[in-house]
Amino acid sequence: MNRRSYLKSVLILGITGIASFSVFEWFELKRPIQLSEIMDKRNVLAELVEVIIPATDTPGAKAAMVHDYIINLMISCNTPRMQKTFISGIQDMEDYAVQNYHKDFVKCSPQEKHAIMDHFSKNTGYSSRFLNKVSDKLFGAPFYLRLRSVTVEGYCMSRLGATQGLAYDYIPGTYQACIPLQPHQKSWATK
Amino acid sequence: MYISDKIKQLDTYDAIVIGSGISGGWAAMELCRKGLKTLLLERGRDVKHIVDYPTANLNPWDFKLGFNNTLKDQVENPVQSNAYTPDDKHFYVSDAEHPYIQEKPFNWFRGYQVGGRSLTWGRQCYRLSDLDFEANAKEGIAVDWPIRYKDIAPWYSYAESHIGVSGQKENLSQLPDGEFLTAMELNCIEKHLGDSIKKNDHHRLLTIARVANLSRGWDSRGPCQNRNLCNRGCPFGGYFSSNSSTIPAAMATGNLTLRPYSIVTEILYDEHQQKAKGVRIIDTLSNEVHEFYSKIVFVNASTIATTGILLNSTSSRFPNGFGNDSNQIGHNLMDHHSSAGAYGVHDQFTDQYYKGRRPCGFLIPRFRNLNGQEQLDFKRGYNIQGHGERQEWIDKSQSITGFGTDFKAQLTTPGPWTVWMAGWGECLPYDHNRVTLDSLQKDKWGQPLLKIDFSFEDNEKKMMKDISNTSAEMLERAGFKNLDVFNYNKPGGSTVHEMGTARMGNDPKTSVLNGNNQMHAVKNVFITDGSCMTSSASQNPSLTYMALTARASQFAFEQLKKGNL
Repeated sequence: MNRRSYLKSVLILGITGIASFSVFEWFELKRPIQLSEIMDKRNVLAELVEVIIPATDTPGAKAAMVHDYIINLMISCNTPRMQKTFISGIQDMEDYAVQNYHKDFVKCSPQEKHAIMDHFSKNTGYSSRFLNKVSDKLFGAPFYLRLRSVTVEGYCMSRLGATQGLAYDYIPGTYQACIPLQPHQKSWATK
Repeated sequence: MYISDKIKQLDTYDAIVIGSGISGGWAAMELCRKGLKTLLLERGRDVKHIVDYPTANLNPWDFKLGFNNTLKDQVENPVQSNAYTPDDKHFYVSDAEHPYIQEKPFNWFRGYQVGGRSLTWGRQCYRLSDLDFEANAKEGIAVDWPIRYKDIAPWYSYAESHIGVSGQKENLSQLPDGEFLTAMELNCIEKHLGDSIKKNDHHRLLTIARVANLSRGWDSRGPCQNRNLCNRGCPFGGYFSSNSSTIPAAMATGNLTLRPYSIVTEILYDEHQQKAKGVRIIDTLSNEVHEFYSKIVFVNASTIATTGILLNSTSSRFPNGFGNDSNQIGHNLMDHHSSAGAYGVHDQFTDQYYKGRRPCGFLIPRFRNLNGQEQLDFKRGYNIQGHGERQEWIDKSQSITGFGTDFKAQLTTPGPWTVWMAGWGECLPYDHNRVTLDSLQKDKWGQPLLKIDFSFEDNEKKMMKDISNTSAEMLERAGFKNLDVFNYNKPGGSTVHEMGTARMGNDPKTSVLNGNNQMHAVKNVFITDGSCMTSSASQNPSLTYMALTARASQFAFEQLKKGNL
């Protein structure tokens, strides 16, 4: 082999190396997640949404089946990449529970669950808005914020959330433009 | 092709109307009421009032994915899925099935069905004034409108009296009053903003939107139930659409034949008689081609689609498109911009709330360039549209922090009052903003794809800057805080007010239609959708289409009676 063809082969090897790596990555991110991978997280997701919107004098997110709403969204509306980061976000919380409390997240006490969520809520980004923007662009919004946002949406649009957690006015009939706020007035479920 | 006389007779009408949207429905009703046997052609499916509004009575939790579109929607319908949500998706076309070419980003939102976009329109009804009709002539831009306010004023009244418009009289020359039903009511933050605006500049005012939502029963429809779900079709007939009003009215005369699934590919020109003899269609169910004949043709396919039909209708007399002696067809495409504005939060009135979901907001009528005395760096003007409300869960989920019991309590109680407002601005007619036919690519029916080349220019961009600044200033003076001064920079088409590609004018050399929406070159063809607009003004245009359609129908009928067509 002369020097010329040696250099050529090194170059080609290099290029295929880079190419095969990124092709692998590309396939990995494009591959939709298995339904079972999502369903495996259903129980822990139900606990997570309840930590965000717990039952009080009105039903919480778990009773409103918000975890199922989120699973539906994940299956139909999310890219494989979003699905993966969401699942691994749940996994991170589970791992944190095992490392710090030596038990599964679902078996943690309400206080422990709250502490775990609190930990993740404090690691949601950089103090710089610019870095957050770059980070969101590259890696998607932090898991905690995504989870909270879909939990809110799922809860407020659920039957229990809309009719008991909020005030739902199916057919208002009239528009009363300015009325005194009632004691313990809930906000309207729909605009 | 040989067609027997008998079949030809069966396929012959007094009038053909192409398109059943807001202007086509009006043409059909008017012509039928005058006793003309009318064929109304619609390229999409039938949508019957009430029975074909499948989501109208659904609750939020009836939508499995909330108001999120699926990934498939986003991929297959990259344009339409920006406009639709699962509750009204069935009133939008599939981009995959109905492609078009964007030379520059342009949102062409479409509803191919009986009723067209009258099912999903914004329902704002504003009259143009002589400030608008005279602007082109005064500034030497494009061509002069062949009509003035006095020509259309009675027809505005006629249209408003039929459709039912709620609104407040304000006695403004730039935004003439109409025939109004009782106005909807401003809420307390909107009244506060209005008071502040008036106090700071007595030339400006804030009024309730003028909308085709019925504040009382009207024409056996309504009243509006304040559900604010108009986009799904209203089971109460609370707002005007072709489906709820003009098409049933046309049907009741016994003179209407409604033919859905009929794509008009061409208007047929009779070289001998020098007029249109009818149209050719593709039946999308059978894929068969049919011809229908009539004495007059009304083209109401919507601006861009009308342009396509005209350009596709070539003959030895009109090699560049039907009635296109001026070569103006397809040029001068306009759309209002509505990207710039401001949002603010107010910390007072915390003991006040509202009940019901008013289906409209407020309007700050145009206050720029009213008398030519102002030293502004842009021509024409804008009106500001917006609404006031208290922050509710959708807004709060972004602004409040934490989780758990306190978070839930905050999330489920009314937050501070806010106002969002943006300017709906005039877009000048530019020759280079245009629609053409692609010479190679065809759709699944073998029809050439439409190519849209549109951008906002310097005048629009300078106006947007003024809108943002002025909106922010008005909010600030009224005590709003945490201002978000925005320009969404939405592409053309986003306001869904396409206009101008077959403009009216006095001179056949520089315009397509005369002052009666009659084609200069083919006297028995009338075009009364948005393509007829000589300038865009800044008002939402549908009411003007309706008034012009009623006016042109009357003119066409008289000409027909006199034997001139």
